[in-house]
Amino acid sequence: MAELQNSAIFAPRVIEEIQAKAESGLYAIRGFGTLRERRWPTFDDLTFLPCSLTRIPLEGYREKCSTKTVLGTRFAQKPIQLDIPVMITGMSWGALSYNAKVALARGAAAAGSSNTTGDGGMLKAERDNSRTLIYEVLPSRYGINIHHMRMADAIELTIGQGAKPGTGGLLLGTKVSDRIAEQRDLPIGVDQRSAARHPDFLGPDDMIIKVEELREATDWQIPIFIKLGASRVYDDVKLAAKAGADVIVVDGMEGGTGASPAIFQEHTGLPTLAAVCEARSALQDIGLYGDVQLIIAGGIRDGVDAAKAMALGADACYIGTASLIALNCNKPMYEDDYRAIGAAPYACHHCHTGRCPVGITTQDPELMKRLEVEDGAERVRNFLQVMTLEIQMLARSCGKSDVHHLEPEDMAALSLEASAICGVPLVGTRKVFGH
Amino acid sequence: MVEIDAAGRTTREVNRAIRQRIAESCKEVVLRNPGARHNLAVAILEDAHIRIAGSAGYYCGGLIDGPSIEVEGSAGWGLAESMLSGTVRVHGSAGSGAAAAVRGGTVVIHGDAAARLGVSMKGGIVIVAGNCGYMAGFMAQKGTLIVCGNAGEAFADSMYATVCYVGGEIANLGTDAVIAPIDAGEAQQLEKILSTHLPATLRSTKPAAADFKKVVAGRKLWNFDKREWRTWQEAL
Repeated sequence: MAELQNSAIFAPRVIEEIQAKAESGLYAIRGFGTLRERRWPTFDDLTFLPCSLTRIPLEGYREKCSTKTVLGTRFAQKPIQLDIPVMITGMSWGALSYNAKVALARGAAAAGSSNTTGDGGMLKAERDNSRTLIYEVLPSRYGINIHHMRMADAIELTIGQGAKPGTGGLLLGTKVSDRIAEQRDLPIGVDQRSAARHPDFLGPDDMIIKVEELREATDWQIPIFIKLGASRVYDDVKLAAKAGADVIVVDGMEGGTGASPAIFQEHTGLPTLAAVCEARSALQDIGLYGDVQLIIAGGIRDGVDAAKAMALGADACYIGTASLIALNCNKPMYEDDYRAIGAAPYACHHCHTGRCPVGITTQDPELMKRLEVEDGAERVRNFLQVMTLEIQMLARSCGKSDVHHLEPEDMAALSLEASAICGVPLVGTRKVFGH
Repeated sequence: MVEIDAAGRTTREVNRAIRQRIAESCKEVVLRNPGARHNLAVAILEDAHIRIAGSAGYYCGGLIDGPSIEVEGSAGWGLAESMLSGTVRVHGSAGSGAAAAVRGGTVVIHGDAAARLGVSMKGGIVIVAGNCGYMAGFMAQKGTLIVCGNAGEAFADSMYATVCYVGGEIANLGTDAVIAPIDAGEAQQLEKILSTHLPATLRSTKPAAADFKKVVAGRKLWNFDKREWRTWQEAL
């Protein structure tokens, strides 16, 4: 009997997906971010080249290596000053529970870092527990409030998100509780599909005026960030700089989300590694590299990823999913509750259901109790501090007394593609391929 | 009452002068020579009357909470965007996205409004004495949107709980927008709003409240339902 063989095109998973669509009439919506095996170059395709004879390293546990991070030096009267270059990205109260938002704020503050509001506006407890709070202005304008804006340390005008560039937020009705509905001026229980475009400007020229409005509203005191989902990064970064951004955030395709159509997470946008390289090139080509600070986001897992992003040109990194994992996302506990929503520890991307077993991406009061704010804040603080120590270790080994002095020359590429994308030599050669 | 001359000053200087006068307890500020510049009188949070003696550009009265702003000419895009409370009155016409994302207060436009009037509005009252362009009320969430004249295409598309009234003709309704009956109580309430906010000479030229068409969300887009896939296909 001939050996049975699966189709590589219509593999079992593809067959299941087609049949699920045929039976339900629904496309797949889920949270978390891309699940694909990454066949494209990532930060793992780079290796650091620590000092030996040609460079002098710093003592790993003794000599100073500054992590102080200043953002918004271009136009703002009061740039942000952080102790570390790792920040918490914008995630909404709605996608996240109240406890998760407060734990992130408190943990970031304890580590000397910042956190960001998200779709739906600012929570009082979030402001009270933050040291540096960035106020997101999103296309939906849910919860927009000038008083909150003026309590912020920076404004982030969000154009897009790495997990789903070109589309708006999504919060399914199970998470639009009475409190969330009130905050967002929505009927309780609707499937909230946020706008993809801002309601009062369309293109980059209008955005110049919008940025001026935000500056006028805050008396030119605080920095204006412009956040882009990574797609046409090179041109978008130049346009954002032209619009007057103090800081540009580029969010790569490995970025997470509380909910979106799965196809966006898997098939749209530029990988984070490519995004940081394009962003740096864009700022260099218009002579604003260093004047406009660059934050990179999207799948940053540890200090190694962050250090590589910084060596390629980022001034700081955002983390989102990693910070939720620090809060116990996907941890093997409450396993029956994972199973009840068709998930399992390490394989849960069911944020969209509102039934998060560990109390992070839920509005259910009972589930939320599973995330204790003080414990969560401690874990976030620890994780941010360890990430920072990892960046410092690599920087010192490369002879840098400031983590911001890391540069492409400190690395080599482990693949031809990474060499071409990052402009660093391929290991075993002295060639930068594609340049 | 104090006058501020915008001629020769930057927008930043003009707005600072307005705030300074209000901080000095001046309750009425007149801005001369506005020159249709952008971002005039944004983020004013005090109870004061600001009269702009001419036309204003984008985002006039944006992000305010409390003041009364009067534009004697016309206004550009994003008039009063994200306002929390107060009144913004335009004697001429307004550009696209007037009253975008407002959460409260009242916007009154004596002339016409361009596209996307009241887009994503989250509360408040928006009144246009003339006509409005396409996609007025797009994704509007709460509040009341009133157009005394004709409404453009895709009116009230993809709304949540905003209630719209149109005195003239509607070119066509947007996705999930439906005509609903107006009862006597609602007509009375509508008349009260119109007579309160429109000058009598202007009100007298507009239809009677009972003759307005009321438009609300059909609620088919509120939650995904595969049985309504064609509606979703068109909406998306």
